[in-house]
Amino acid sequence: MLLRPKTPVASIQQDTGAAVVMVIPAFLGLLAFVAVPFLLAIFLSTQNLHFGSGLGPTWMGLEQYRRLLLDPLFSADFYRALINNATFAVVVVPAQTGLALAIALLLNRSLRGMPIFRTFFFMPVVFPMALVSVIWKLIYAPDDVGMLNTVLKVVSFGHIQPHDFLGDPKTAMAAIIVTSIWSGVGFQMVILLAGLQSISGSLYEAAAIDKAGKWQQFWNITMPGLRNTLVFVVMVTTILSLRLFDQVYIMTRGGPLNATTTVMYQAVTAAFDRGNIGNAAAITVVFFVLVLAIALIQRWFLREEREIA
Amino acid sequence: MATIKYDSVEKTYPDGTKAIPGISLEVRDREFMVFVGPSGCGKTTVLRMTAGLEDITGGRLYIGDRVVNSLPPQKRDIAMVFQDYALYPHMTVRDNIGFALRMMGRPKSEIRQRVEAAAARLSLTALLDRKPRNLSGGQRQRVAMGRAIVREPQAFLMDEPLSNLDAKLRVQMRAEISSLQRQLGVTTVYVTHDQVEAMTMGDRVAVMKSGLLQQVAPPEELYERPVNIFVAGFIGSPKMNLFESVLRRRPGGGAYVTFGQQELAIPDDVLRERPALRERNEGPIKVGIRPDGFFLSPNGPSDQSLQVTTEVVESLGNERMVHFIAPVRKASDADARDQRTELEEITPDGGTSMFIARVPPYPKVRERETVRLGVNTKGLYFFDEEGNSLL
Amino acid sequence: MSNATINGRRALTLSTRARDRVQVGRLGPSRLRIALSYAVLVPVTILFVSPIIYMFIASFKPNNEVLSGFGVFSPQDLSLNNYLSIFSRFSGPDTGTFTGFLTTSLLVSSVTVVGGLAVNSIAAYALARLRWPGRNLLLLGVIALVIVPFEAIAVPLFYMLDGLRNTYLVQFLPFIASPFSIYLFYSFFAGLPKSLEEAARVDGAGAWRTFFSIMLPNAKPAFATVAILQFMSSWSSFLWPVMVIDDPTVRPLPLAISVYVGTPPYGWGNIMAFGVMMVLPMLVVFLIFQRWFIRSVVASGVKG
Repeated sequence: MLLRPKTPVASIQQDTGAAVVMVIPAFLGLLAFVAVPFLLAIFLSTQNLHFGSGLGPTWMGLEQYRRLLLDPLFSADFYRALINNATFAVVVVPAQTGLALAIALLLNRSLRGMPIFRTFFFMPVVFPMALVSVIWKLIYAPDDVGMLNTVLKVVSFGHIQPHDFLGDPKTAMAAIIVTSIWSGVGFQMVILLAGLQSISGSLYEAAAIDKAGKWQQFWNITMPGLRNTLVFVVMVTTILSLRLFDQVYIMTRGGPLNATTTVMYQAVTAAFDRGNIGNAAAITVVFFVLVLAIALIQRWFLREEREIA
Repeated sequence: MATIKYDSVEKTYPDGTKAIPGISLEVRDREFMVFVGPSGCGKTTVLRMTAGLEDITGGRLYIGDRVVNSLPPQKRDIAMVFQDYALYPHMTVRDNIGFALRMMGRPKSEIRQRVEAAAARLSLTALLDRKPRNLSGGQRQRVAMGRAIVREPQAFLMDEPLSNLDAKLRVQMRAEISSLQRQLGVTTVYVTHDQVEAMTMGDRVAVMKSGLLQQVAPPEELYERPVNIFVAGFIGSPKMNLFESVLRRRPGGGAYVTFGQQELAIPDDVLRERPALRERNEGPIKVGIRPDGFFLSPNGPSDQSLQVTTEVVESLGNERMVHFIAPVRKASDADARDQRTELEEITPDGGTSMFIARVPPYPKVRERETVRLGVNTKGLYFFDEEGNSLL
Repeated sequence: MSNATINGRRALTLSTRARDRVQVGRLGPSRLRIALSYAVLVPVTILFVSPIIYMFIASFKPNNEVLSGFGVFSPQDLSLNNYLSIFSRFSGPDTGTFTGFLTTSLLVSSVTVVGGLAVNSIAAYALARLRWPGRNLLLLGVIALVIVPFEAIAVPLFYMLDGLRNTYLVQFLPFIASPFSIYLFYSFFAGLPKSLEEAARVDGAGAWRTFFSIMLPNAKPAFATVAILQFMSSWSSFLWPVMVIDDPTVRPLPLAISVYVGTPPYGWGNIMAFGVMMVLPMLVVFLIFQRWFIRSVVASGVKG
């Protein structure tokens, strides 16, 4: 056998030219408007920078973070915001998901006119959150002329007194929660409905033959079949609930007495109302770390079970 | 001249797997070359390397007299028929066939004329304005062919084009493709896992296994003189009956092989023609008998026939397939999986196997009956321990 | 006999004959069950939709009646006054005009969507199907950026784009390139059969030709999905306009209604009229293209 010298082998010409041109616009856009700001946030959070003061940024190191997290003078608002975000997430995620699931289950029968119902439940999703907030602000109007107050009075035969939902620190957050759930449940419901419809009908038939009752069918067929969809819905809703801003800005301005302030609201008011860019950037960075951590934890937690199944 | 030459062409994946250790072969101008082999043998990889859809990591590929290793598919002047046809779903048949010509920038009138000619050749004229989703499997396949022939390329490459068609259609299309290729006279490389297609369509057939060429020869040669057990077992349907045997010599000069307790004499002219067999010592040997190497011979001589017990008899009208229990151990390729049925077992004295004999419909044979099958001893195949033919 | 497997446990299905027996006795869910479903569903749906109904009705009623408990539902005093007052209230550059708000929203959203479709689809195609050095790295980068929520970069972006405040540009430019859209397109292109593209290559088409002649025509669902999702997101954009817009002439609708609610005098009837006008185009588009909307949402869920 002759030993051939290794000839350099040419591989097929690549599409580099075309690919580069195709990718450049998006690449530049992402670089300029996502990647750079992201890094800039980290940089700015180490600076003492006030907008409109005419002064440039000065180095502050981790001082912004210290103030935010440890200094009682500054951090009270921030911690309150964190608690509010947490409360919101802890209530909304199960409540909205549960409600969406219930509605999806109801709609999953072969009812005629199901698409009509589905459209109605999805409608709020099409409304900008700002508009939703305005409508509910009206509904929550205090005094007995407010719509919600009127309804409650009628339903309770006069026992429930009119309430200033948005003005009372005890009920403000709950009010925002209800508004948010109303706005978002259609989105989840539609996804869960699609997931439900993708479960093969013959599985239910098989279970019925095996003498499984409705409840057992639900736990043994529906839930496992929905598992991945549910995981996705829960994760997305959790992340979305951390970004809470629009409703708070319009309905309560973070009050009363910080009852509804959120992390993003803090960041925006710091930057926009007070011009304190350094502080706002620090809040933003903490926010992102939180989001990432929660996303990773959820992923790990829920992913593991996925593999066993 | 449109020859395709593979000069030590190899394919190694980035993770180190050597899919194709090296292939050298030349497809002649106007030849219909079929690459055949079990799944995973590398035949499709070779085809895709020829098309430019996979990188060649070693060796050189020539189309005509150009080295084409680094040329993208567009520049190789080849046409390809894909296994799933890959018809452009949003275009009509006419536009599908004419697409390549549009890419080449040919004038509209020329495109129309060539498309219509190709369509006429393939009986597609009535379907020119339909979209692929409104075509049957066979029609789609013909559109895929039309797309290839309209370009008048240097070579056709076909990747299992018939595997998605039903059996009857396949038989019909085989003939159509063969005749088309002959009329057009274009060099063709055709890949299939179906050895019937290979045998009926190829001028030459390249049998592949695990990335290596086993044998490249015209179909008859593959059938009559397979170079190893793999090729012998792969070509021919039903599969050749292969078994472990022992070669023994008679004091007078003849030789025979064992079949369990029975014997099969090797004819003298066979010994004369095969020096490797003639000079071999007594001892283990692998023997093959094709199913049509059997015939019913109730009174045949004991060294040219075998007494066996039938198990299942399949009647096909023009012939019968008799499955019988043979008191021998199957011989196969070192890494081919042996499919043993419950009726086969390994017993200390050699084991049993299920063999198939193909015999005429009469006289009738019943199941679970002892019969005497004559053996065409001139058509026996012999292999050594490594599975190479003893020629 | 067929076997269904859930969670590794086998549920045996019937032989065909037993199946038939079950089928014959069953005509789908029982009538009673259907009636019950409706009995629950209809009131729940009406209750759910009531805020929207309230908004519509309130927009036709005088302000004092809007805030009068159930009085708002009385059929008297219906008029278009609220709507007309919007146009008189918002009549100049210092308050902005309704048409101005609408134009801003339309312009910004359209440019974002159209620009986004163009820019993101070709990038996704290059990532999904072309071979070039650095491809894998860039793909990883894009996927990493998908998890960055807008809020995380709003503040620095605000700082960076300070000079562009109060323009249309600042409202759409940052949003044309979208990691999520790229990812959606990428999954879609990656899912198209490779052989289609290979056939095009063998037929002589280069990268651009393949994209326009083969990929695009077969990617309509992906385009619809991305367009709808990006449009909805852009139309309801609020956080960003709050930060960078204070000039009423370039103010988008969501911000406009928020400002309206924040600056007396206003009557709730007027505000509701504003809301109706604001949501009507979107609602009409939604009702016409419902299936696409819902499909888009589901598609984004499936990809997740």
